[in-house]
Amino acid sequence: MGERAGSELLPGTLYMMILRTLSAGPLHGYAIAKRIQEASRGGLAIEDGSLYPALNRMLVKGWLKAEWGTSENNRKARFYRLTPDGRRQLEKETEVFGQLVRSIQLVMRSA
Amino acid sequence: MAFWQQAGRRAAYLFRRNEFERDLEEEIRFHLESRVDELERAGMSRRDATIQARREFGSGARMREESRAAWQFQWFEDLLADLRHAARTFRKNPAFTLTALGCLALGIGANTLIFSLVHAILLSPLPYPEADRVVMVRFTPPNRPDERLGTNPGSYFFIREHNDVFERMGAVRVTYSGVIPPGNDATTQWVQAGWSSPGLTDVMGVKPLMGRWFSRQDRDFNVVISYGFWQRVFGGAPDVLGKKLIWVPYGAATVTGVAPPGFQTLDPDIDVWLLQPDENLALARRSPNRVFHLFARLRPGISLERAQAEMDSLTAPLGAESEIDRGWSIKIQGLRDVYTGHLRQPLLVFQGAVLILLLIACANVASLLLAQAARRQRELAMRSALGSSRGRVIRQLLAESLLLSLMGYACGAGLAWAGLRVVRSALPTILPRFVDVTLNPVVLGYCLLLSLATALIFGALPAVQMSRTDLMEVLRDATRSTMRRSSLRGALVAAEVALAVVLLTGAGLMTNSLLRLNLVRPGFDTHGLLALQIPFPRNTYQQTGKNTAAGGMLMEFTPRLSQLSDQIRERLAQVPGVESAGLTMTPPLGGTPRRFNFSEENHPLAGAEQEAWTAEWYPVSADYFQTLKIPLLRGRALAAGDSESSHPVMVINATLAERFFRNEDPIGKRIQIGVVYDQPREIVGVVGDVRQNRYEYVPQAQMYVPRVQLPRKMDMTLGLQLMVGTFVVRTKGDAASLVSALRKAVGEVDRTLAVTHALTVDEYAAGQLEDLRHYTALLSIFGGMSILLSVAGLFGIMAHAVSQRTNEIGIRVALGANAGAIQGLVARQGMVLVGIGILFGVAASLVLTRVIGRFLWGITATDPLTFGVVLLGMAAVAMLACVVPARRALRIDPILALRWE
Repeated sequence: MGERAGSELLPGTLYMMILRTLSAGPLHGYAIAKRIQEASRGGLAIEDGSLYPALNRMLVKGWLKAEWGTSENNRKARFYRLTPDGRRQLEKETEVFGQLVRSIQLVMRSA
Repeated sequence: MAFWQQAGRRAAYLFRRNEFERDLEEEIRFHLESRVDELERAGMSRRDATIQARREFGSGARMREESRAAWQFQWFEDLLADLRHAARTFRKNPAFTLTALGCLALGIGANTLIFSLVHAILLSPLPYPEADRVVMVRFTPPNRPDERLGTNPGSYFFIREHNDVFERMGAVRVTYSGVIPPGNDATTQWVQAGWSSPGLTDVMGVKPLMGRWFSRQDRDFNVVISYGFWQRVFGGAPDVLGKKLIWVPYGAATVTGVAPPGFQTLDPDIDVWLLQPDENLALARRSPNRVFHLFARLRPGISLERAQAEMDSLTAPLGAESEIDRGWSIKIQGLRDVYTGHLRQPLLVFQGAVLILLLIACANVASLLLAQAARRQRELAMRSALGSSRGRVIRQLLAESLLLSLMGYACGAGLAWAGLRVVRSALPTILPRFVDVTLNPVVLGYCLLLSLATALIFGALPAVQMSRTDLMEVLRDATRSTMRRSSLRGALVAAEVALAVVLLTGAGLMTNSLLRLNLVRPGFDTHGLLALQIPFPRNTYQQTGKNTAAGGMLMEFTPRLSQLSDQIRERLAQVPGVESAGLTMTPPLGGTPRRFNFSEENHPLAGAEQEAWTAEWYPVSADYFQTLKIPLLRGRALAAGDSESSHPVMVINATLAERFFRNEDPIGKRIQIGVVYDQPREIVGVVGDVRQNRYEYVPQAQMYVPRVQLPRKMDMTLGLQLMVGTFVVRTKGDAASLVSALRKAVGEVDRTLAVTHALTVDEYAAGQLEDLRHYTALLSIFGGMSILLSVAGLFGIMAHAVSQRTNEIGIRVALGANAGAIQGLVARQGMVLVGIGILFGVAASLVLTRVIGRFLWGITATDPLTFGVVLLGMAAVAMLACVVPARRALRIDPILALRWE
């Protein structure tokens, strides 16, 4: 998307970011990718090729539900919505990630 | 929980793949279009924007693949792919596929068939609620621990009053009665009636199919008819309830119910159940006659062992209370054990036999797959060179085994279905009547599991072999790595031969017994001899209401009895084609004769001696000997002159004379027989031995008394047995064709007389061997299959060996080896395997044939003759399987052989 300048994602964080993006409300795939890129101020780019497999895996896990709706430009689009399970998963991953970041920062400062 | 939800979502995917693909395409299109729109808004041309969006999106194929994979059970998709590949492999190689399939179908089919019998007879519950709580209480006389007899009224009441393991108890007594169904032209039916105490139906716990059981409150004479009687006599008419039967001689009885099909109280032939109030039983409380079958329902939670312990604790008090029960023990037996216990061992033997058969089939298929794998080494090596992991290659081999076993399962189930039709029509006399043998889901499920297990057995070998082989080595030189594989196949063939030997010795031992039994001569001429069983009507005896000294009920014959039996005998003898007719108590070779003690007059015997002096006892008419053609050895036979008023006489057989009067002349001795009220009798003659039972190894001591000289008063147990007369008829030609004329003649004597059984003595004789004949036939069929399969395996490996050694043989021929040497070279390889197989087979047989020891007659389970014949036979057939490929080796052209490869 855009200038494709963003850096690679940390492994395992894609689900978390998708969940976070959807916590505000249902979005279609294109909007999810765009929202993540914008929120990171272009710092993160999700490859389109990995977004949709990830969404499908999350559907299988039951974190998301998908339904067809109409997009802002009046096209038929597939909207993804967080399920209660997905919301719980988001809380869990956020906490684990926060701890991880704090730990890494501690190590980085002490050195 | 989450795992199952996921699995559920994935499973749902399997049914909406197309929808998924459509959704995915739509989503991709939307994504690209949105991006194109955005780029256009940023100022690009439509064309450039489209190209840019596509480039950014990257490989759509990979993305689709990964999205799909998220939903798929990966192993399942792989399995489908493997199976498709396996199916292609099989299509390319029909000879291999058909051979393997044939082996598996035979093995699995035989297992399915036998398991359907095992399931129906030994595993599925009897048709009663909580049937495992229903037991029979039976009685064992002192010193005869193997017998299981019924109860007398006294023991029934005693146990009922003194136990706390049974919830309910009920007794049934079987009698024969004439019954005339409604309708003007109805003839007298001879039925078995079950006189039941009120608790019996509660013990069984089933409701009638229609109507209700009789009850204690009934004022009328009510009966419940069996399902079979309802079908046979009333044609299954729905309005049978309330119909009146004429119960000879009591009068009308009302049908109040129809028992469900399969309802059985020990005797499967009971047609009518009716109430016998406990008050009636109480009147006969001191009777020693054990004519009641005692059923009981265990309280919930009480085990058989607990109930048996309770019964053990009751034997002493019972014996203390009544003299007649002293020394008897009480035995609890589960109802299934009573009904099907005798089939348990044969069925388990057959189950073992078919498992052996399946093992042989597995060995065969494994051997075929090994040969196949050797041929496919290049293909498999190529696949691994192209990046298939070793695990992937092994999985492919296992998938082929799986497909093979599933196809074998389908064909085997078909074979079992056909086999079951044969079994059902051939074995009706052996199968219990309540049993319905079907290929139900349990049977099919068991055999599916068995098939999958076999796939693991025969599939694992080639797979393991493959995993050990260095595939790169194979690609370099495909010819050299076959030796080790041959030795593994050799071991398989030896195992097959060993297993076949086990089955064949089993079948051989049974056949040997059957042949020996067929050679047993009964001591009289059975050819053209018929036995008609005719129950005498009620007016030939009366109940006296008194008891014998031993406490039994006393009955008295009326003069009508001997008049009537004389009339029947004379009328039968007049039928054209009949030479003579005689009267006895049980059909020759078809019944269990009564035994009685006897002693010389004025030499009463004591204790153990009394036990030893027993002999079979036959009350017969004078023309019995001439009718059966029993040879007279000394003195005279019974004669028409021996009448009620003349001097009491008897005739003994050679064995009795030999055993008890070794150094004396028995003629003229006076004998007291242990029949109540019988007079001392003078021995007037000695006749030849007659076997009643073809299984008898040594002839029994026998005594014959003139039927007209029987005491008029008699203990009821014996008296009722005498109330069914067996008329033996010697015919000139074909006995069976006279049956209808004879039945008609009996009807002319008295309309109410019914012939219950009319069979030739040869039929009775065959009936005694029926079980053994069926068992032998089944085991022989399995033995035959086993030899077929193992020889096929042997032939396969020999043919393969010859083709492997073509090169070597060519060199030998070129160097001048003669035909015999080449043939010997090839055949030796096979015969070594056969020899090893036979050796192991004999060792295993010596141990395993013991399980059929009970069915053998006249030989031991290690009979050397049988073993010898089986070994020679097996060796000869195996030799053939070796020689044929060896002869083919002879025809090898050395020039061609050297160019081989």
